[in-house]
Amino acid sequence: MSAQAALPAPAERTDLLSWITTTDHKRIGILYLTTSLCYFAVAGALALAIRTQLSRPANTLVGPHEYAQLFTLHGTAMIFLFVAPFALGLANFLIPLQIGAPDMAFPRLNATSYWMFLFGGLTVFSGAATNEGAAAAGWTAYAPLSEIKISTGLGQDLWIVGVFLVSIATILTAINFVTTVFIYRAPGMTMWRIPIFTWEMVATSLLIFMAFPALAADLLLLFVDRHLGGHAFDPAYGGSPILYQHLFWFFGHPEVYVMILPYFGVISEIIPVFSRKPIFGYTGLVLAAFAIAGLSMGVWAHHMFTTGAVDDPFFSFMSFLIAVPTGVKFFNWIATMWRGSISFATPMLFSMGFLMNFLLGGITGVMVASPPIDFQAHASYFIVAHMHYVLGGGSLFAIFAALFFWWPKMFGRKLDERLGAICFWLLFIGFNVTFLPMHFMGLEGMPRRVFTYPDTGHLALLNAIATSGSYIMLAGVLVFAWNVVVSAFDRTPVPDDPWDANSLEWATSSPPPEHNFDRLPPIRSERPVFDARHPELAQGAAR
Amino acid sequence: MERSLSLATATAQASLLASNWLLFAYVGLAVALLVWGLILFAALRWRRRDTPQAPLPPQFRNNVGLEVAWTIVPLALVGVLFAYTYRAEAGVEVLAADPAVTVNVNAYRWGWTFAYRDGPTVNGSFANLPELVLPRGETTRIVLTSSDVNHSFWIPAFLFKRDAIPGRTTAFDLDPTATGTYAGHCAAFCGYDHALMGFRVRVVEPGAFGRWLRSPAT
Repeated sequence: MSAQAALPAPAERTDLLSWITTTDHKRIGILYLTTSLCYFAVAGALALAIRTQLSRPANTLVGPHEYAQLFTLHGTAMIFLFVAPFALGLANFLIPLQIGAPDMAFPRLNATSYWMFLFGGLTVFSGAATNEGAAAAGWTAYAPLSEIKISTGLGQDLWIVGVFLVSIATILTAINFVTTVFIYRAPGMTMWRIPIFTWEMVATSLLIFMAFPALAADLLLLFVDRHLGGHAFDPAYGGSPILYQHLFWFFGHPEVYVMILPYFGVISEIIPVFSRKPIFGYTGLVLAAFAIAGLSMGVWAHHMFTTGAVDDPFFSFMSFLIAVPTGVKFFNWIATMWRGSISFATPMLFSMGFLMNFLLGGITGVMVASPPIDFQAHASYFIVAHMHYVLGGGSLFAIFAALFFWWPKMFGRKLDERLGAICFWLLFIGFNVTFLPMHFMGLEGMPRRVFTYPDTGHLALLNAIATSGSYIMLAGVLVFAWNVVVSAFDRTPVPDDPWDANSLEWATSSPPPEHNFDRLPPIRSERPVFDARHPELAQGAAR
Repeated sequence: MERSLSLATATAQASLLASNWLLFAYVGLAVALLVWGLILFAALRWRRRDTPQAPLPPQFRNNVGLEVAWTIVPLALVGVLFAYTYRAEAGVEVLAADPAVTVNVNAYRWGWTFAYRDGPTVNGSFANLPELVLPRGETTRIVLTSSDVNHSFWIPAFLFKRDAIPGRTTAFDLDPTATGTYAGHCAAFCGYDHALMGFRVRVVEPGAFGRWLRSPAT
């Protein structure tokens, strides 16, 4: 032991080749995060083009062909290439650190997943370089619209191949997460002591196992239909367009929770730290995560209420039930803040923004789970508003919270707090100015996925407000980018645990060494770093 | 010319739909105000005013009674909402035994065909929006399908849409209660000119409807 300790650690390589060949979970995590943020920038630019086109009625900035590609790539990139993979990147970086492991269970598989994700995304976008342009059938690619008879272009094929690659990469990553958490925990790190974020990733991974194979099957069938003479979705040969929807949403609704459970985890990590209290109901939060994951497997056809082809009341009731464990999470977060000592550093500001926005998305979610409401709201701007409150107001705000919270751990320097607050307020105001009016557009009869709309009712005013909000959001994102640049030139050393945090990743250096930990503190509860800082309280806090 | 949504409903089905909308909107708003209030109260009441070296707040956690309560109460609430929504949907989806008028509707890229049983056939696309004429106070059965890709038959003022899916037919009833002209639109993305795939709905008195059936040009 002593002889080994005397050997100097090998110098860490930082050249480009070392990043390309890396199997270190932290580097793969950072590659994932960086790549997904690049896709976010592209998807955000597409969103601005959409909002600019819709800024006034009968605008002619882009035509219908371009517009269909814009919203198809915007949705595809935000969902498959940003919100979901950002969580995978964050989990890649955090899970081994949070459970006291030196790396993931399958490091090379992990690298494979990342490269499949990167090139899958590039494959989707490469469609834009083909003669007929990129895929233009929406991120849902409903058949028969996406069949070769209608969508003749190569862009649709590249979309299928790209999303297929991403879905396989996601399944492989989920295998890695579950194996790592079940087998590679440090001594003392029992399952009931792993941080909530890691728990949420276990639930997310189980959902991925069940949901993503259905997507892969759906895409394969569509490809066979297009090029190998299959007729799975072609009614002229006994195929069923409804089957496409069933397979798609059997994946698609659990996917919503793949895109939100990790961020419930992020919020559950941040609120206790900035309230200086333990998470209120650890067990309740974990059980709620699994209740949500389980229920979310039985609600897919609430995306199909208006087909008249599914048992609406069953799927309605199952969808209502999800509100209960989601409510449990909200009450636990509030109870964690209750009688705490709450500071509003940027991660906490974004967490509060998450709570305020996501609550509205959750409530409109219960509304559209009622078929009589969905008959009006479905495929209208009301739904556009609802899903953006969940994925934009919810997940996106948690993503920024996570970036500000774990930035010091990843890079050994802090993002600027004042710029962080400016970024938060621009995004919070911009987000609500953009998406709140969309509820009313939907009620006034504006369908989603339209490149133009008539000047009736209040549509012109509501759309103009929404477009102005999207540019406020752009300003917020630019402030964040500036913050990254500023922090890159800021040489102020950052302590290993700048936030007085709880979980194990704060027990190692910032950034952590390649093997993660030189030594581990004793693990007697789900917040070992707190216990080490407050040994006088550790006994009472231990479970 | 065309009315936008208001709670003065245009069909018998829409009044059921509207009351369901209002119930959910009020309950949703009440829950939102309660939870937003709790979040903001906690955040402002217990914000840190002193130095970071201040003593830790009490480290309490877990309260079984509270946790059971905030599981049971929402469960009861969604149970009540479900019962209400179940009844509303049943009322909207019930099909009359003997509708006065039956219209076969076919959606296609990018227009509509309204074929009245024992009556005229109206066809039109975005250059010349087709008009669906309905009698006030009588039941019209819509039998809906598509001849190419998925479409959706949506009349926002009726608070209702139904998807038109190739290879399937689906039926629903409309009982207009007020004369007037309403906008209709395709709600399922069906390709480039989806945005232009509209139609018009004109609800007239039964006598005028009979005259229109005999000579649709008027």
